Amino acid sequence: MADTMGGFSDSEDESQELMTPAQLIGKLEEAWLNEKFAPELLENKSEIVECVMEQLNHMEENLQRSKKGDLRATIHRMETERIRYVLSSYLRSRLQKIEKYFPHVLEKEKSRAEGEPSYLSPEEYAFAKEYYANTETFLKNVALKSMPPNLQTVDLGKSVPKPNLDSFVFLRVKERQENILVEPETDEQREYAVDFEEGSQHLIRYRTVAPLVASGAVQLI
Amino acid sequence: MFCEKAIELIRELKRAADGQLPAFNEDGIRQVFEEMKALYEQNQMDVNVAKSDGRSDLIPTIKFRHCCLLRNQRCIAAYLCVFYDRLLRIRALRWEYGSVLPTAIRFHMCAEELEWFNQYKKSLATYMRSLGGGGGLDITQDMKPPKSLYIEVRCLKDYGEFEIDDGTTILLKKNSQHFLPRWKCEQLIRQGVLEHVMS
Amino acid sequence: MASQEYSPVAAAVGMDENFLSLDDILMSQEKLTSRVETVFPRLGFLEKSSDETDIAVGTKLEMPLWLVKGLHDGKRRIVSVELPKIYREGWRTVFSADPNVVDLQKLGPYYYSLGLQMLHFDSPENLEIAQTLVQTYVGRFRRIMDSSQNAYNEDVSALVEKLDVLERSLFGAGQAGLNGFQCWEKGHASRITASSLVKNYRKRKFADLEV
Repeated sequence: MADTMGGFSDSEDESQELMTPAQLIGKLEEAWLNEKFAPELLENKSEIVECVMEQLNHMEENLQRSKKGDLRATIHRMETERIRYVLSSYLRSRLQKIEKYFPHVLEKEKSRAEGEPSYLSPEEYAFAKEYYANTETFLKNVALKSMPPNLQTVDLGKSVPKPNLDSFVFLRVKERQENILVEPETDEQREYAVDFEEGSQHLIRYRTVAPLVASGAVQLI
Repeated sequence: MFCEKAIELIRELKRAADGQLPAFNEDGIRQVFEEMKALYEQNQMDVNVAKSDGRSDLIPTIKFRHCCLLRNQRCIAAYLCVFYDRLLRIRALRWEYGSVLPTAIRFHMCAEELEWFNQYKKSLATYMRSLGGGGGLDITQDMKPPKSLYIEVRCLKDYGEFEIDDGTTILLKKNSQHFLPRWKCEQLIRQGVLEHVMS
Repeated sequence: MASQEYSPVAAAVGMDENFLSLDDILMSQEKLTSRVETVFPRLGFLEKSSDETDIAVGTKLEMPLWLVKGLHDGKRRIVSVELPKIYREGWRTVFSADPNVVDLQKLGPYYYSLGLQMLHFDSPENLEIAQTLVQTYVGRFRRIMDSSQNAYNEDVSALVEKLDVLERSLFGAGQAGLNGFQCWEKGHASRITASSLVKNYRKRKFADLEV
């Protein structure tokens, strides 16, 4: 379906990204699924988001110009809606995690070293800071202000729980991995190693495979 | 004694099914505050009395203070838990209802909660506008995967005139049925004005 | 259908407690029988039946978990906690014989989370308690999962009545999954709906008008 977009891409796109529109959407879908199933906020993919939005704008413009009742236009409109759904869902997943873990997300961003990739886009960072300030002000005004002086502070970082990196995730292996160490679940078990064959599927603790998700070696499903 | 008043606020929230926002229990909350304040003040008095009596045996006082402190901390914990959970429900309202809340729901919120909601929706709007290098994207739409461009809808209440794509308007009267562009109807369906009819 | 957008703070995993979780706060309100090991001056108000201002050593009190945890100190003996009977050997034997017959709603309802909290009190039976918790969970899990996946099982409500809080949320998750799948099968997954919040507020509004 995404191949039909081939006729709409500009030559400028090709100089920035050596990706066809189909590949771009493929990357968006991968990022979307990973974000949906990972317990923690993943690295932001602003470049993909921006490119997809550019693509959507192109498609919208072409649709405006097209003749009413043109069958191709209907197909293209459906494609637009499909892509918009995936993009919105992706961004929503991220926002939900940002809100759920807001003190930790901000802490992680603040303690990030120079040159390390950012987890939040600039817009998400602004949103997270506002969310923190808004919630802190609220709690101060509604509860803590009227409390006895020595009990007036609350450490949001301690109160708001962190993401559970030990949750289990389903994944499909894209690049073969050897010797993945699996932790024992009970006292009777011992740790053991598995090989991830390409194309195989596994159910495993997220913590073990987090770096593989980040590198793209596995795809969460 | 064991902060039962504060715990009752928590039970009240748990009883509210499906993430609904119960009315702001002003009385209940005020009572918890008063309890805490009274205990704190009494505790302060006792500490001063103990000091002026010159009691060298500090350990019993410490235990007493310890219990009172624990108790007040417990009340605060319950308190914050209640307010935080309510915030989560209020946040859900923005996503499920939209940025304009009906009066009935607003009555269930205290002034500070309304302020939080207003700030939240502003933040969200700013964020959405900034997406894609200033083009903007309303991510509170497109909540379900699209299956078709047009859908059958039935009107659940009188709404009035509704403009669709090419400038034409239709009249949405209670019980009328229409075949409309999906993306145009989404908001109205979620607000309970239209109903998505599946064939 | 429950609100999609409201996801409350969950109870903590393991021996922790989540400060902002409704379930954890309610769980830590559960009363434990504790023995006072030193004099508690001026805390007579803790003991409802007595008129004394002080609590004598050796008094047994029913105190909520949060207070006991706050007072408990491994080194100094301030309070000692009595292990609730469902975690003691007698009941542990019952659980290991057949975990499925036990009514955890009646005995609990916070059987697992309270049990995990009891491990904070350094009982010599900690290992056995922990093992029983795991084995009971494993023993009951199969039936819970099977029932939640079977929409037409008439015995479901009888089973659900005997589940503790943790098991109920597990059962709920199973059912939600089943409903979602059936919805998708029927082609209704893409159906846009008004949230239950909206539907309920509408109903309430009409009720308010009647007043």
